[in-house]
Amino acid sequence: MDLLIWPDWPLAPGALFPVAVALVLTALVGEAGGRFGVPRVSGYALAGLVLGPLVLGWFDTNDLAGHRLIIDFTIALVLFELGIRLDLRWLAANRWVVAASAGEMALTFALTYGALWAVGTGAGIALAVAAIAVGTSPVILMHVSNELRAAGQTTDRLLALCALNVAVSVILLKLLVGALHGVHSGWQLALLHPLYLLLGSALAGAVIAAAYLGLRKLVDPATEQGLVAMVALLLAAIALLSALRLPTALAPLFAGALIKWRDRRPHLWPKQFGSLGGILVIVAFMLAGAAVTAGELFAGAAIGLLAIAARALGKLGGAMAFGPPSGLDLRKSIALGVGLMPLSMLALLQAEDVRLLYPEFGARLLPIVIAMTVVLGLLGPIATRRALIRVRETRGGETS
Amino acid sequence: MNLENFASSRALSLGVELELQLVSTHDYDLVSSAEDLLRVMARKDVPGEVKPEMTCSMIEVSTGICNDYAKVAEELESLRGALTEAARKLNIGICGGGTHAFQDWSERRIFDKPRFHYLSDLYGYLAKQFTVFGQHVHIGCPGPDAALYLLHGMSRYIPHLVALSASSPYVQGKDTGFQSARLNSVFAFPLSGRAPFVETWQEFEAYFRKMSDTGVVQSMKDFYWDIRPKPEYGTIEVRVMDTPLTVGRAAAIAAYIQAIARYLMIERPIRLSEDDYLVYTFNRFQACRFGFAGTYVHPETHEHCTIAEEIEASFARIEQHAIELGCDGPLGELLRQVREGRNDAAWLRERHTAGASLPELVMDQCARWMGGDAM
Repeated sequence: MDLLIWPDWPLAPGALFPVAVALVLTALVGEAGGRFGVPRVSGYALAGLVLGPLVLGWFDTNDLAGHRLIIDFTIALVLFELGIRLDLRWLAANRWVVAASAGEMALTFALTYGALWAVGTGAGIALAVAAIAVGTSPVILMHVSNELRAAGQTTDRLLALCALNVAVSVILLKLLVGALHGVHSGWQLALLHPLYLLLGSALAGAVIAAAYLGLRKLVDPATEQGLVAMVALLLAAIALLSALRLPTALAPLFAGALIKWRDRRPHLWPKQFGSLGGILVIVAFMLAGAAVTAGELFAGAAIGLLAIAARALGKLGGAMAFGPPSGLDLRKSIALGVGLMPLSMLALLQAEDVRLLYPEFGARLLPIVIAMTVVLGLLGPIATRRALIRVRETRGGETS
Repeated sequence: MNLENFASSRALSLGVELELQLVSTHDYDLVSSAEDLLRVMARKDVPGEVKPEMTCSMIEVSTGICNDYAKVAEELESLRGALTEAARKLNIGICGGGTHAFQDWSERRIFDKPRFHYLSDLYGYLAKQFTVFGQHVHIGCPGPDAALYLLHGMSRYIPHLVALSASSPYVQGKDTGFQSARLNSVFAFPLSGRAPFVETWQEFEAYFRKMSDTGVVQSMKDFYWDIRPKPEYGTIEVRVMDTPLTVGRAAAIAAYIQAIARYLMIERPIRLSEDDYLVYTFNRFQACRFGFAGTYVHPETHEHCTIAEEIEASFARIEQHAIELGCDGPLGELLRQVREGRNDAAWLRERHTAGASLPELVMDQCARWMGGDAM
């Protein structure tokens, strides 16, 4: 009797099966949200939390580490697209947009740091949380604005400010944490490391941009082959960036902006790219929930909420102060500030990376960031969506 | 409701209105940025006016009352400069062209103003489909009867103006085969077409009163005629042109209209007759569909020729008037383009056939309009 031809009982379908079920569930929760006017990403984030250690425990932190590449790739893809939407000529033509960005970031950083320092978290944690708070979730912003087919002044600025604050947040955190832990002992290193991060990312971005523009001449990005070429390009970039110990987020963002700068033509993603991106976003959110445990969430909740409040004030204040001279009215300036609320995967990964290098410091930082991303990952997309609908920048006709 | 009195205006004075497209510099689709652009423009000192239009992705600019081509060109140029600067600040593109090549009409939003909402409620989807962009030229008339003579006389030149300004071959992402597909959207309106054949203002007032009594119209604004009298300005308004891709061409077309008007008013060369209109819609269709290559049927002799030939003949008739008005230079350039069969629609088709995608085409349109290219 050859037993190998008959199935075992009980069935052992392997690891793939629960992943598939989880994926379907995540997609369905997103879809259910969509029916009720809640952005799909909020649904994905919720599903991720439920599937993770917080409720069902289908995924845990090991899964997150094992599938880190998927999340990195998703973020790189989104940042590449976001970079292409960042028109540097515009920033040169309207310096007030740059001022709004700088103001929003400075205020967020100062207020968050101040609030945390005041309640006695210690300067190190306060600085690290403030650096992470500067950023806005690019994945959520792009997803919500694509879902609404948003276009207009507020949308343009939201995306531009997000691109800039992500870049600054990533650099800031690396610098601060490095400095705090004496990595930069001696001024040479303190000067060289930031330079390496910036110039290295810029250079890598230039290489990616050149490769993209070269590829675009050979294959039409709207075809299947073109799609494969673009995906391969970004994958290769991530592999190289990791080997160079450069942040995987910055170079794709720089590359996108350089491409738009070098070639003004519309760089529109083919339809398949959109659906591929959509699947990746669902997978990434499903996995991101694995980082959230109840213990950490509750440990960080109080300070996390304080940081959220301070950050909200900073973003709103910056947008309201510098929005009007940049050509917005007050209503749109407020919408801009509100729209910048989401914080999600990238922040989580930033904190996770800190923990990998400095476990003890990271163990104090992570709960706060987890609490922030849980709240702002669920409610942030709703805020952005409401803001864009309120200023009537959705292209779906009379949505408002 | 009675029609207001026909105001007096300086004969042959000129005013030009251009409806312009506002597009995103990311995907070059139309974008609802009219409010923002108007807010920025309100702080600038420019001649003429910048106004909202039916949907939030269009604006209308107009010159003040000008005497001649030079003044029109100067005012349009300074409007273009100010608008371009404002647009750069807002990261939007502004372009000419009678239609947007690939916009989806269902995504348009009606500008928040009572009249636009009224029209939108009345016409339904037609109002959104009316996201088309035209050039309107006002010509000052010494009196109301002269205005009606000018209106009917100018009607013979509608095909000429359509062919010269045509810049709307693409609609909703497809090549329509037309050179000016924009006018097809206008024809959908119940009160479009031509003015009734009446030769005196008294008769015109009677017509208006009858129409007004039916409850169909409230004011002259409810007529979407190709040429309509504008009593409060004391002008006739020629409305068949697509917005050209450059302000230079818009100014030259206005100059052409002014020269024809001078020729008609001074020489009084034609005897008006209702039968002139027998060939009117045929000629206009030919111009919309085929441009310069279309057939022109002469309203009196019923001879057939191409629209290009008829335009060339018209230039000979008005040459002296063009010299008097100081616009022989730009008209010479227009004529040269007619001989070469070049207009904006041809330029657009050439680019697209050469491989530019429609979003790239809109980008090129923006570069031409904002960069202030020659016609």
